[in-house]
Amino acid sequence: MKTPLVLEIKCNSLDDGPGIRSVVFFKGCPLSCIWCHNPESKRVPTEISFDEQSCIGCGTCTKFCTQGALNIQNRYYIDREKCNLCFKCVEHCPAKAITRVGVEMTHEEILKKVLADKPFYDISGGGVTLSGGEATLCTEWVGRLAQMLHENGVKVLVETCGFFNYELAAEHLLPYVDGIFCDIKIYDREKHKKYCGVYNDRILENFRRMYDDREKYGYSIMPRVPLIPDITDTDENLTAIAEYMQLVGVEKTDLLPYNPTWYSKNDKLGVQLSGELEKLTGWQSKEKTEHARQIFLSRNIKC
Amino acid sequence: MNPKTTGMIANSLANIVLKFMAAYFSNVKSKQAYLKTVDGWMDFAIGLTTEDGAVKQSIRFKNGKGSVKGSIDNVDTLLTLQDTSVLAQLATLPPNEVLNLMLKNKMSSSGSMAYLEFFNLLLSVMMKDKQIKQMKAQKAEREAFGKTMSDEKVPEGPRPRKQFLKASEVDAGVHCLQDDPYLSTYAIEDFPRLREYLNYHHTGTPEVCTERAALLTDFFRANGFETKNDGTPWIPEVRQGKAFRYLMENRKPIIRKGNLIAGTTTTKTVGVPIYPDAIGIIFWGELLTVQDRMLNAYGPLSDEEIYKINNDIFPYWVHRNFREYVREKYDEPVCQQLDERWAAIFMWKNVALSHTILDYPKLLKKGLSGIIDEIKQELIDDTEAPQSKVDFLNSMIDCYEGVIAYARNLAAQAQKEADAETNPARKAELQVIADAVKHSPEFPARNLDEAVNAVWIHWVSVHMESTNAGFSLGRMDQWLQPYFEADMAKLTDKAERDAYIKHALELIGCFYINCQDHLPLTPDIGNYLFGGSSSDQAITLGGITPDGEDAVNDMTYVFLKVTEMLSMRDPNINARYNSEKNSMTYLKRLCEVNVNTTSTPSIHNDTVVMASLKEHHYDQRDLNDWSATGCVEPTISGKHLGHTNCMMFSMVAPFEMAMFNGYHPLMRWQLGPKTGEPEDFKSFDDFFKAYTVQLGLMADLACEYNNYLGEAHAVIRPTPLMSAMLDGCIKKGIDCTKGGAKYNSSGTACIGLADVVDSLMAIKTLVFDKQVYTLREMFDAVKNNFEGQEVMRQRILTEVPRFGSDSDEAVTVANRVTKFTRDHFWSHLNYRGGHYTTGWWSMSNHVAFGTLAGALPSGRLASLPFTPGLTPEANASKSLLDNIKDVTKLDPENMNNNIAFNVKVNPSPKDSHEQTVDQLCSYAKAYSSLGGMQMQFNVVSSETMRAAMANPDAYRDLMVRISGYNAYFVTLNKELQLELIRRADFGM
Repeated sequence: MKTPLVLEIKCNSLDDGPGIRSVVFFKGCPLSCIWCHNPESKRVPTEISFDEQSCIGCGTCTKFCTQGALNIQNRYYIDREKCNLCFKCVEHCPAKAITRVGVEMTHEEILKKVLADKPFYDISGGGVTLSGGEATLCTEWVGRLAQMLHENGVKVLVETCGFFNYELAAEHLLPYVDGIFCDIKIYDREKHKKYCGVYNDRILENFRRMYDDREKYGYSIMPRVPLIPDITDTDENLTAIAEYMQLVGVEKTDLLPYNPTWYSKNDKLGVQLSGELEKLTGWQSKEKTEHARQIFLSRNIKC
Repeated sequence: MNPKTTGMIANSLANIVLKFMAAYFSNVKSKQAYLKTVDGWMDFAIGLTTEDGAVKQSIRFKNGKGSVKGSIDNVDTLLTLQDTSVLAQLATLPPNEVLNLMLKNKMSSSGSMAYLEFFNLLLSVMMKDKQIKQMKAQKAEREAFGKTMSDEKVPEGPRPRKQFLKASEVDAGVHCLQDDPYLSTYAIEDFPRLREYLNYHHTGTPEVCTERAALLTDFFRANGFETKNDGTPWIPEVRQGKAFRYLMENRKPIIRKGNLIAGTTTTKTVGVPIYPDAIGIIFWGELLTVQDRMLNAYGPLSDEEIYKINNDIFPYWVHRNFREYVREKYDEPVCQQLDERWAAIFMWKNVALSHTILDYPKLLKKGLSGIIDEIKQELIDDTEAPQSKVDFLNSMIDCYEGVIAYARNLAAQAQKEADAETNPARKAELQVIADAVKHSPEFPARNLDEAVNAVWIHWVSVHMESTNAGFSLGRMDQWLQPYFEADMAKLTDKAERDAYIKHALELIGCFYINCQDHLPLTPDIGNYLFGGSSSDQAITLGGITPDGEDAVNDMTYVFLKVTEMLSMRDPNINARYNSEKNSMTYLKRLCEVNVNTTSTPSIHNDTVVMASLKEHHYDQRDLNDWSATGCVEPTISGKHLGHTNCMMFSMVAPFEMAMFNGYHPLMRWQLGPKTGEPEDFKSFDDFFKAYTVQLGLMADLACEYNNYLGEAHAVIRPTPLMSAMLDGCIKKGIDCTKGGAKYNSSGTACIGLADVVDSLMAIKTLVFDKQVYTLREMFDAVKNNFEGQEVMRQRILTEVPRFGSDSDEAVTVANRVTKFTRDHFWSHLNYRGGHYTTGWWSMSNHVAFGTLAGALPSGRLASLPFTPGLTPEANASKSLLDNIKDVTKLDPENMNNNIAFNVKVNPSPKDSHEQTVDQLCSYAKAYSSLGGMQMQFNVVSSETMRAAMANPDAYRDLMVRISGYNAYFVTLNKELQLELIRRADFGM
């Protein structure tokens, strides 16, 4: 069974589903959206991250680096070409300015961590959200986790990009899920390929199937549309998505206004951003969000 | 220059300055006048020295003439400066900064504090213009700093009306508000009268009021204090009874403009009464400059008022106050010296013995005349009563006749105003007041107007007897409900009933407003020690009845609505939430009010608070009837003198002494026993033991001083009025200051728990478990404020499991610390025969004590605030749930004077009002189901607080929860403001 790496378990989340929740972020995603808010979650393998703000400049790390990969002159501090990911520097950094991105955890370890907050889920109607990266990337493994949570009386919500093997998910994951948030980003398949790295046929197909199967497996499903300036929030795209949703029978969707706070995360990972992203540094205006809402409302889709 | 030369120069400099001062007050008639009291010249001597003894000078005044001597023998007050550099600062700093020198232990004083304060006034007479100029510069600096915090523009126009939810269910005890117990259709905009009061509350300037102090001083000067005019000694209770009666008979009866309730605490719109028998004298030095001080300024005093206070009132009380009584009788014991060094303990007993709740149901049911009958009956029934009891009971009668006289004067005044009033609506209101007060408080209340007027007049009276610090009102919703219900039962027409509900809201609104007609006299040093606090008049709502049934009723919701509309810091609203008996409808309303007011009410988990009081063995019915006093502390209503805030106690000062072998670095004092050099501690337990030894010593000293001060209260200011309203005192014939009440205890507030636990965890983890550092290395780093040891500090911050990080190990240490502290305090009996209880809340002393402490092994740097109450340190965890889990694992039995757990939450703007309320409700419910004791939410973002620092005028009403009490953010000192901003900010 393929095992995913865990990026982080975020407790006391109020933004990833109903009530008070814990969110398990898995590493790795089949898509590569250029605006991805969790750039550290894109790639599957372990990475190394450096946070300039936390660094106290004590130089301890350099004493343990055998590859000469650490250099203050380097904009990203770590030369990822040289680094062999031995993580010795991580072990010894007193300020935890250098950290390992992605750790292996067993089902039991995750369970122990998230069950500690069960009283809060129960009282608030919350639970655990499986997110990413892409939560379904290791479908069997994550399905088993969902099953175990289910058996412990915890409500499970999955956040997905919709790009997965449906049969596998139907067998291992969907029966143990209480809610699904599925992103519908771009309707045009060529543009989807351009901005997200893959064609969207499978996503649209999977969403329709999940929607149809919602009573069979007993979950609720909510499509979500990220509003990325001039990429997804064009009238053309939003109209196409809304019409698609009408066809599927969707009555309600969530619009996610763009926020640029992910921007600085790339530095920590040593990722140079392309010129196209320059215009993505601002916040979404209220007017644009409202305009987007009207496109859906006029097609009887609540949002 | 060598130190000896510096010393000699400083000594001559001090000599010259003091000589100038002596000449100034001897030769300039208008200045000399400050020395001439109505009883004659102020004769006293102040000495000035340095710790190395290089400076030795004293200034003496006798018969209006000053002289200077090169010695410090036979002075009334001796000022000891750390070194000669402090001398230069002393001569140039404004008065609040001079106090800060003392606060920071650069200077210490021994001997009379009264003469020191008078000396400060004389300095202020000489330097007033310069001082005011400096204070203005401080204000400008504060404004400039504030501007750097935010560049947010203040939104223009009136603020939008708040949102209100409608109740989805009706509690069983709600009989009149079935339509909507939440009263969601009402808002402050519907009550122009309250709106106007509120505006004044936020923008008006309080003024010092001399009425109480002047009338009492006149009485005692005419009739004697220690002895009567015939030379025989006064029995203190008898003396106080007569004096109180005189005071009440001669007070000015005032009905505040537009108010529905008769009587005021002072003669000013918002007044600051003076209690020279307590700590009033500490204000002496600020008489000329208080209008210019940076924080919480008062209006300027008139020349007549300055003369009255300086030349008449204060001189009379130089020796007749609690502090000086103890100093003279016990020769300034070590425990008193410790208190006057500020860094380890702060004794509220110097200020008041007020933290209690009186038997208001008795007042309402019997009336004052009924209480007098009860006392007279006791005099008849107890045929073998000793003379002391007879005297004492008669002093109570004096008091109550005094209150009746005051009430009758108020009734007459109301009638006079009603007769003269031309506006018919106001005329009718005044007639209602006149009729109500003619009847009640003298006789049993018959309706809500009478009941509220009776409680208020008694409330004013209680504050005439003793200091306005923490007196609390108790279960007002329970006690007023019968009157509200009876009034409503008489009305059948819906419009009439609606109008009456509105009247009830307005009446209780006036009551809240009136509770803010007085403020505690806060010397400027108080702005740094307990910033922004008013007198913390706690009201308790909800919970269960004495019979153990759901107590939530109509008046619970009326009080909550008023709390929500006014959003005032005081009265301090405490809500009992009994998860077995109270509904979710009620809890949800508590959370909604908290969202709408940003910081009140605080929520108490009823069953856990009661469990914490197990070892008192209270009668079950009495226990069920508990209510909160002052900030949060449990008191048995009407039966209990629990002086629940007798002291604030630093948990950190003994910790520093344990690190440095009994030596306290900031006080430069080998106060504790030598418990060991770092090398002597072979295990974590060894060090823990040393800590408990030092802690034990400090607790012993604090209790000793408290007991001396308790004795001082019994001699200087026994309280027969209060005693008659506390079950037990009449029967026993003993004043409550001497143990007359049915239940007795003294409550402490222990400060810096999380700082101590995290420090112990650092020692345990990095020194003894992982052996990364030696204890000496760690203590050396601490001594040097981690300079050059940032690596160690970072390892502490990142590797040590903290209290509040879901760490069972840290919780175990915390329970060990709290248990030792609780057991040690409990082992002491107070002067009234009761136990000492242990609380974990801090008012704002976590900032003051923090300022006065060095760095700690927890990684906290020197002078930074401790964590408030028992709130975990801000970086303990990213998740509020971890904080909650650890706090709920603390054993309630070690927290028998309650706790304050602060949680700052920051609602997401995209959530609806109801979603935000539901989220808060989930936290509160989960916290209580896990066994948490008390929690208080601050629903305000860091951004808002930063904007308030930049634009204080636009945010005068921004209320925040400090630790147990509420304050307006813009009135706080800068350190406290920054501390609030730094506190963990959990987004919602």
